[in-house]
Amino acid sequence: MINQTNNILDITGRVLNIQRYCSHDGPGIRTNVFIKGCSLRCKWCGNPESIRLKPEVSYDPKKCEGKKCSICLKAPFPEGGFYFVEGDDAKVKVNWQLAAGTTEEMVALCPTGALEMFGKIMTVREVMEEVEKDSSIYRSTGGGLSMSGGEVMLQPDFTAALLQEAHNRGINTAIETACNAPWANLEKVLPHVDTMLHDLKLMDSERHKKWTGVGNERILANFKKAYETFPNIDFIARTPLIPGVNCDDEHILGVLEFIKPHKNVIDYELLPYHRFGLGKYESLGVVYELDDYKTPSDEVVKRFQSMIDEAFGRKANS
Amino acid sequence: MIKSLGHAGTHRRVAINVGSGFVPGTNAVVMGAAIAGGKLGWEMIGIRNGFEGLLFPDRFPGGGMINLSPELIENLDPATGGILGQAPKVDPFHAPSVKGGKKDLSDQILKRIKEEDIDALISIVSGQGLGILQKLHLKGLHTVCIPRSIENDIANTAVSFGFNSALSVTIEMLNKAYQAARSASKIAVVEVPGEHAGWIALQAGIAVRADAVLMPEIPCDLKNLAKRLKDKISVRRPYGLVVVAEGAKLVDYKVIKDAKSSPESIPAGQVAGTVATRLQKLITAETYPLVIGAWARGGNPTATDHQLGMAYGAGSIQVLKAGQNGVMVSFMPPDIRFVPLKDAVDTVRTVPSESEFMRIAQLLGIYLGNRL
Amino acid sequence: MSKDTGRKRIAIMVGAGYIPGINAVVAGASLAAGKLGWELVGILDGFEGILHPEKYPDGGLIEINPRVLNLDPNTGSVLGQSARIDPFNVRTINKDEMVEEVDMSDELLNKLKAEKIDAVISIVGGKGLTILYQLHRKGLNAVCVPRSIENEIASTSVSFGFNTALTFTIDMLDRARLAAKAAHKIAVVEVQGEEAGWIALQAGIAVAADAVLIPEIPVDLKNVAAHLKDKMSGKKSWGLVVVAQGARIINQPKNEEPVSSLKASLSPLATSDANSEFVIHSSGQAAQAVATGLQLRIAEETFPMVIGPWVRGGSPSAVDRQLGVAYGAGAIQALEAGKNGVMVSFVPPDIKFVPLAEAINKIRTVPAESMFFQVADSLGIYVGK
Repeated sequence: MINQTNNILDITGRVLNIQRYCSHDGPGIRTNVFIKGCSLRCKWCGNPESIRLKPEVSYDPKKCEGKKCSICLKAPFPEGGFYFVEGDDAKVKVNWQLAAGTTEEMVALCPTGALEMFGKIMTVREVMEEVEKDSSIYRSTGGGLSMSGGEVMLQPDFTAALLQEAHNRGINTAIETACNAPWANLEKVLPHVDTMLHDLKLMDSERHKKWTGVGNERILANFKKAYETFPNIDFIARTPLIPGVNCDDEHILGVLEFIKPHKNVIDYELLPYHRFGLGKYESLGVVYELDDYKTPSDEVVKRFQSMIDEAFGRKANS
Repeated sequence: MIKSLGHAGTHRRVAINVGSGFVPGTNAVVMGAAIAGGKLGWEMIGIRNGFEGLLFPDRFPGGGMINLSPELIENLDPATGGILGQAPKVDPFHAPSVKGGKKDLSDQILKRIKEEDIDALISIVSGQGLGILQKLHLKGLHTVCIPRSIENDIANTAVSFGFNSALSVTIEMLNKAYQAARSASKIAVVEVPGEHAGWIALQAGIAVRADAVLMPEIPCDLKNLAKRLKDKISVRRPYGLVVVAEGAKLVDYKVIKDAKSSPESIPAGQVAGTVATRLQKLITAETYPLVIGAWARGGNPTATDHQLGMAYGAGSIQVLKAGQNGVMVSFMPPDIRFVPLKDAVDTVRTVPSESEFMRIAQLLGIYLGNRL
Repeated sequence: MSKDTGRKRIAIMVGAGYIPGINAVVAGASLAAGKLGWELVGILDGFEGILHPEKYPDGGLIEINPRVLNLDPNTGSVLGQSARIDPFNVRTINKDEMVEEVDMSDELLNKLKAEKIDAVISIVGGKGLTILYQLHRKGLNAVCVPRSIENEIASTSVSFGFNTALTFTIDMLDRARLAAKAAHKIAVVEVQGEEAGWIALQAGIAVAADAVLIPEIPVDLKNVAAHLKDKMSGKKSWGLVVVAQGARIINQPKNEEPVSSLKASLSPLATSDANSEFVIHSSGQAAQAVATGLQLRIAEETFPMVIGPWVRGGSPSAVDRQLGVAYGAGAIQALEAGKNGVMVSFVPPDIKFVPLAEAINKIRTVPAESMFFQVADSLGIYVGK
């Protein structure tokens, strides 16, 4: 038995960030653990650093000492990964393509911390140490541990272990997921979940593929199976509202239709998104191609919200 | 009261001015009129900035009026606009007053015209300007108007000057947009000039073989447009071009916020964005909006507009000489004629459904928003 | 590769983003290759034609024979339009239906061998150049024809594509100037130039703009506004400000609003700092920021215009047509001379060959001593110095 517990605490995962005082990730005030790696490629993604599983280097020019230093221009750093431009500009520039081989050991050599790694290997033990700091807040607000990313289902052993340990310590659990993973992964994780926020981005599979990289059949099948297999989880459906993509009545009604038969889907949340500009978004090699439209207007969001309130038999908020 | 002129059609001092809004090649018109008038021994005077030069001469360091002498005209470049500036976008019958509220400046204008000994006014104006000049004419102003419109929506003249230049620029820009769309594998939705009529959209759309053209004359149901595009766009051809006039109307479009605007109209500059967003929901291929707007209104006039401008200018002198008053010069190829202002006002020439252009567009497979 | 002149089969491909005049480069290479009795094949859409030939009903490679192919320099590019060029990070759906990036560089090299391709000519700049270099390190016989709209590739004095973009920009700025003049406003026009201000500066001089903002010199809008006010106090009632896409503004009032909790929960590393590396370099942002910033400090109306989206269309200029052909032929020359892993470099009046390893990461920004600054100064153009 003792061995078992030790095993759980030593399980590792690649963590992007741990954020405290989150109010949009489940009930109450929560600590959100973001893990790295996602199995979708949504064109509107606002955090490219969470997309790939492998660790990636990040660069903050403000901290760079520039030509005084030059450590990253030499071995062991990847050749050509970091360079200077002739002229007054003193800061190091990053050739993201060539810098891809940078590791944690190399980054430790940067004296100012201008270079850091996205995605640290952390044990369950280390993460829980952070999470437990706000235990009293969880108690008073009904909050707890949340996990998000990236995609939590891509590191099922770590996710399951972390959630299980949270339960062991009396902390409730929530996850945010798009469920694009084999059911076997979900099966490992869901037994330890109290609240599951899940994304329904597009109901038309062809368009889903265009905007996220893959069709939605398996995702919807996962959702359905989850609803049916885990009656005690509080499921909250979610849609990131992207103008021109899914910001319309048809989508809202489609989602309501999908979740209607399942009483354990207790709510449907809308997240109005801002579509970003035309052009290249080049960091970590991600090319970002959305166009500049406005955020959904308040009126539109209000209208959708009242449709949702009606479906759930609630009075609309004024 | 109409000033007595001696022999009918004999003038001594004729003024020229320009209405609001920029149209390339106005100089050509001014030159045409000035040269023709000069040959008759008339004194040609230009008024700066519409009526401003007359009403507020101190605002202009060089004086509010310019003597359009043969030497000055010699050195004018017909390719550039602007020697006479242009009027502010203000209706002199309802000019905003410094104290708030509106003032009627028309009497002042007529008074100043008398003071300056001006026998007649040639006014180079757009559709709205025609209305204003008509009202001034009814109050006694001796005037002949020259129609300018980049949209070519002034009825009673086959071709306004400025149209050819705008069409030319639009076609050039649409070609570039098409290339850009091909390069990015997307559908470009490009907004072109045309608030009241779809001439530019249609003719340019034909020139570049757009996939669809949306005009004010034919409200479009985007669902049908999406269907047509789906047929045309494939793996082999993963891009497209939709041309949208500024005044294009969408079936089922309702402005939720602004109760004042009519239910079908979208502000210019936002039409492309609106159509692109709505279209996006109906098809898989990615759409992206572009607006030609300002680019079409800057630039040099085409050779055609040079000639047309000169012809209109000289034509206006001909018309004055013939003793006409309160008319608009009209170009009905191959003749220059004139029509009474009251008939020219408030008539917008939209693209008729029997127009050859519509037929040609359909033959080329360009979707115009008709029922499928 | 040894300097044998046996019949060779050369592939030619182009990098991401369309630039007018690619056909000229292909024509140059094709003529030179023909003279040597070599075969030239084009790979469609970057490397896609050879990595995923199943996507192309007529095959992903095209034989380029000047007599058969009508290489009209004005119409698009015979090599396809939407190049996907990163074989080291190819987006695929794996067997678990999950999306991931896969390194297909080995597969690419094998497929090239299978097609009996002896060398690849790549018309690229920036990231494409780095990728070519990486492939070369893995054994690919490669020659780069430098293409760049901004002309920031230091190893060559003039990249292919620059002249066309400059010509076009000047044309558009002329229009913007007329529009501003007619409307009595200040046009704030955004032009190409994320790292270097060559286009902005040279075009701005050509049209005698009032101010030119380039990435090399961060400016305080306060000073730009003061300069404009000065110039417009006489008879001039309009203005023209040229802004490079990568121009930097200093002393902007900081966005005091903390990142909203919603944004923070969706994006753990979100900052509201617009200069954070995670901000999308979007077309139109620079013009908007400058127009808005100036508006706060000046009475005349400013309005933003963006050239970006229009640049990727149109015909190549006369210079680029000649340069294109010369570069294309130069690439074949390099291969004939047994050079491998080089960039064809135009150092007037010669064509030289620079090793790829030396060509990457060299960005040529406008140097402080540049003659262009003096010219701008004498024309009364504010550049922030």
